[in-house]
Amino acid sequence: MRPGGTPGDPAARAARLLRWYPRAWRARYGDEFAELLIADIAERPRSAARALDVARGGTVARLAGVGLCGFGDRHVAASLATLGCSLAVFLGIGAAMWSQLTIGWQWSRSASTLATVATVTTSAAMLAFLALGALAALLVLAVVAARIARRQGKGLIGPSAVFVAASAILFIGGRHFGNGWPGTGGHRGLVPGGLAAFEWATSLSVSSYWAHPGALAAFPAAELAWMSVSPLTVACAVTAAAKLVRRAELPPRALAIETRLAAVACVVMAIFLAGSCCWIATGGGRPSLFHAGIIDVAGAGVLAATLAVAWQAARTAALRIMEY
Amino acid sequence: MPSADENKALTGFGRYAGPATLILSSLAGGTKHGYALTKDIESFAGVRISPGTLYEALARLESQGLIEAVESGDRRRPYRLTAAGAVALKAHLDAQRRVADVGLRRLAGNWGAA
Repeated sequence: MRPGGTPGDPAARAARLLRWYPRAWRARYGDEFAELLIADIAERPRSAARALDVARGGTVARLAGVGLCGFGDRHVAASLATLGCSLAVFLGIGAAMWSQLTIGWQWSRSASTLATVATVTTSAAMLAFLALGALAALLVLAVVAARIARRQGKGLIGPSAVFVAASAILFIGGRHFGNGWPGTGGHRGLVPGGLAAFEWATSLSVSSYWAHPGALAAFPAAELAWMSVSPLTVACAVTAAAKLVRRAELPPRALAIETRLAAVACVVMAIFLAGSCCWIATGGGRPSLFHAGIIDVAGAGVLAATLAVAWQAARTAALRIMEY
Repeated sequence: MPSADENKALTGFGRYAGPATLILSSLAGGTKHGYALTKDIESFAGVRISPGTLYEALARLESQGLIEAVESGDRRRPYRLTAAGAVALKAHLDAQRRVADVGLRRLAGNWGAA
């Protein structure tokens, strides 16, 4: 806003309209766009069409900023970072569902064919996520390490340190609380018990207990602390990873490989979602260890939403890669 | 006949091809800032491009290297057409003219409209 501007004057109104746009866009076009808006407001003091047009333009600029639409080579890294964030949310919820199924299998066989199909499908998908994640991370870390070695690591060292620290906390915490898990019940499960316990521990915060404070209060203090700390740790790791992808300036070939991995990840997400829907559709069947509740229905909704975002990000990245 | 790449420069704009053509046509007449572009386009095409749409298209044209910003001490930064922009505009307008010619010829032959 210009000095001395009042809430009703064109400069103040232009400044308000400008808020629809992201900071980076305002830094580049803000001044000139504000001048155009001021001139337009002077000619057409009241225009709903202008307000809608600016709101739409600002929304498109924001979506472009996170790589969900738009143009330009910088958008590939933004698309990949957004896809990584969507995948992290997907995995957070998905891991909680998967651990319920795999832990159920440690105690008893499922009487439901669909629950069995769901366990096998989601387990295969988790294995695929692990392989894809390792490949994608290795490629990014190799580029980041090379940049740091060449003393071009400005803006990369901090996120790298946060990512490594957060991953270490998650691994150590997951192992610690997984070791305190009640046990396998003596039944041989579809996946190793230690892995199921680790997954259960890392996704402990995705729980319907948050809606039952009375029951939650009976939890050991350390477990409650872990339920609060672990999602924050995941958020730190994901934010750091997204910063690394955006700042690493991956070469075109690396971006092309990451984009292909992203497309495969979307397919695996769809397979995982289909598997979890098989389980939820039957309510889990017997025994009750496999019961699918309201939280799982809500979880499937989140999985579908994150898949939609990831798909759009992968599509945007693929379109931009074709322009290289 | 323009090359496929030259034609693709603007057809790849999808729903922004209209505003992009108008902006490039306006800048073909000389350097202009946002407001001058709006007024010029209104005068020769009879349409008023809203600020949000104008800057969406300007940002895209700039990122594609078809226009460039001119250094200015003024808050109203002017833009000018680049050589690549001129080639892309010519290719696009040639293609549009071929369509217009065919349409007018067929109208004249079958409907008596010249």
